[in-house]
Amino acid sequence: MRSSDERDPPEGGEAHDLQDRSHGTESASRRGLLKAGIGVLGCGLAAIPAVPAIGYVLYPLGGARVAGAFLPVGERGQFSATPVRVDLHADRVDAWSRERDVKLGSCWVVEQDGKLQAFSTACPHLGCAVDYEPGEGKFKCPCHRSAFTAKGEVEAGPSPRPMDTLEIEEKDGLVAIRFERFRQGVPHKEPV
Amino acid sequence: MAMLDWLEARTGIKTALGHALNEEVAGGARLRYVFGSVLTYLFMQQVVLGILLAFYYSPSASDAWASTAYLNDQVSAGWFLRGLHHHGSSAMVVVVILHMLQVVWAGAYRAPREVNWWTGLAMGGLVLAFALTGYLLPWDQKGYWATQVATGIMGSVPGGEPMQQALQGGPQYGNLTITRFYALHVFVLPISLTLLLVGHLALFRRHGVTPPAGLSDAELKRKAQPFWPDQLFLDVLAMAVCGAALVGLTYQTHGAELFAPADPASNFVARPEWYFLFLYQLLKYFEGPLQIIATVLLPGAVAVMLFALPWIDRGKTRKAKDRWVALSIVGLLMAGVTALTGIAMAEDAANESYQHGLEVAEKESKQARELALLGVPAAGGVAVFDNDPKNQTRKLFKEHCGTCHTIEGKGGSEAPSFVDYGGKAWLTALIRNPADKRFYGGTKAHKTMEPLTVEAVSDAELAAVVEYVRSLGGPELGTTDAGLVAQGKELWAGKLECSSCHEIEAGKDSTGPTLAGRGTAAWIARIIQDSSAKDLYGDTAEMPKFAGKLSPAEIEALAQYVAEQRPRE
Repeated sequence: MRSSDERDPPEGGEAHDLQDRSHGTESASRRGLLKAGIGVLGCGLAAIPAVPAIGYVLYPLGGARVAGAFLPVGERGQFSATPVRVDLHADRVDAWSRERDVKLGSCWVVEQDGKLQAFSTACPHLGCAVDYEPGEGKFKCPCHRSAFTAKGEVEAGPSPRPMDTLEIEEKDGLVAIRFERFRQGVPHKEPV
Repeated sequence: MAMLDWLEARTGIKTALGHALNEEVAGGARLRYVFGSVLTYLFMQQVVLGILLAFYYSPSASDAWASTAYLNDQVSAGWFLRGLHHHGSSAMVVVVILHMLQVVWAGAYRAPREVNWWTGLAMGGLVLAFALTGYLLPWDQKGYWATQVATGIMGSVPGGEPMQQALQGGPQYGNLTITRFYALHVFVLPISLTLLLVGHLALFRRHGVTPPAGLSDAELKRKAQPFWPDQLFLDVLAMAVCGAALVGLTYQTHGAELFAPADPASNFVARPEWYFLFLYQLLKYFEGPLQIIATVLLPGAVAVMLFALPWIDRGKTRKAKDRWVALSIVGLLMAGVTALTGIAMAEDAANESYQHGLEVAEKESKQARELALLGVPAAGGVAVFDNDPKNQTRKLFKEHCGTCHTIEGKGGSEAPSFVDYGGKAWLTALIRNPADKRFYGGTKAHKTMEPLTVEAVSDAELAAVVEYVRSLGGPELGTTDAGLVAQGKELWAGKLECSSCHEIEAGKDSTGPTLAGRGTAAWIARIIQDSSAKDLYGDTAEMPKFAGKLSPAEIEALAQYVAEQRPRE
């Protein structure tokens, strides 16, 4: 037994006839309005998740850069005209998790004209760790043969700028350094 | 347009789209047909939102809560997108029910649409499975404990334990539970639902809408309207109403709640989401061996009955009066579910301990989320409370002081206990018997102060001495009774001869520690720094000096912590 609703699927092309059957231009303009309505509402619906999603997926880019704190590296007496390599440790927040006392990086500390100076070990060329050659009294990068004087000036190789200095602070005989990284491969020192 | 024609020539996309949109709606477009489309919209939005959440969410026991808190409280608009996803699941449940009721009312489950009906029922089940698996993912107290109940039920039915263990990845919740729920929630369920949805829609196209039973074939044909744009406009309008309601709800509630991180050692007032409350309530009526009635038999019977509805309905036509059996069954079912949900809500509203539990939970949640802004320690979850300076002090105490001193019920007994430290009862017991294990009994050298028997000093006299000693601590230790203090002072210098060993002025050398400022944070800090100072314990000092070992700030925090043990009197 078939009840009234048990129809066969509509024949192809029948839908097309519907438009012709309806009441000409009045109906056509009504349907035009409906189509525009669908477009507007549809865009509105898509915007609900899409608009906030833009700032969301880009987070935290473009946020204010926070300068790191000065990190203690040792007593003043440890350092002299011979560069000493020190590691910089601090708590690090990586998105949601916080790690305690992580090694952030390292630097060379050397006394020049009675004052301490700190050089990042990251080569300004492509970021390899720069070594100190005590025999030659020079800093040398093991990757692409950049060489620097004891004052950090470029002597040879592809490095586009001198070794990057880090801010250093002396207080009550203790030395602290603010760790930063800089853009690689450019002639000017630019924090990243 | 030229571009569209170019694309059409190569892909046939226009024809395909036309095919999808050009459908005759017999009897004309109607609002009662919108529910399926609204569900499709909601599902698609849930997928988009889910993908967005996956940009930040990390499925592991240590990271799940922390990453959720991060995306909710720090990432821009994170709370909004997560809130939409959360409320979107509720909206899906509501619209699933409306869709089902419309289908039942119209008799659309009848031949030849039985398979539409079954695929629909299966999808309804999947929507609930989505809710259940998604609830656990934030790994917060509520999700954790509510899901424990659900998997616990699974384990309690005959043969359910292996299933429970397979789902949890072992006998207990952990990393393996979260990765399983995650895989189910973001891959298995969406893919299953999509496949079912494709089948459901194909069958719908095959059979068309189910128009009101009263219309004749001729009327159906005459009133017919095209799906595009007539019905689709109504569909999109309904979607827009639903979308606007979701946005409004999300703003009003400021997104989804996020409780404190899951703590397996806590007791949390677990409740399922509102749409599972009827099952939760049902569980209250069937205890012990009867529990299976509420967990399996009744829900199973309802599922079987819904599945068999096309056969239960023996009506000759689709008209409501011919189908009163089927309509009454579903009506009663809905009434039962609504009543159980209402009772569950009313019982909770009247349940003081539950309300109190909620308050505590909200306070904890607020604290945890504030501390999470500093970054959650790598151990994850409850380790967020380690960010609390108070907990850091607790840790410090455990490390440096806890081997000898007891505090908050934990620690050694080689030195005085700090439980209720400095309170009247503590002082009274100390003066009565300094050699008690609670005080100096565990030390090697502090044997100089003699116990006082009740014959030597009555309880009343001792109370006066205690009051006097408290007054020496200054206002930090609270108010004292002037009369008692005067009486105590007399006993102090006279009968009891306390003054022969204890000075009451700061800085004066003495045999026993000076009692000026005794019990204040500053006095305790001096003891921590160096208890062998001449005006403190002098030669009898056994406690290590912490000046130099701990920072002044740490010593101050520890002193404050000990001082805070004093009961409020």
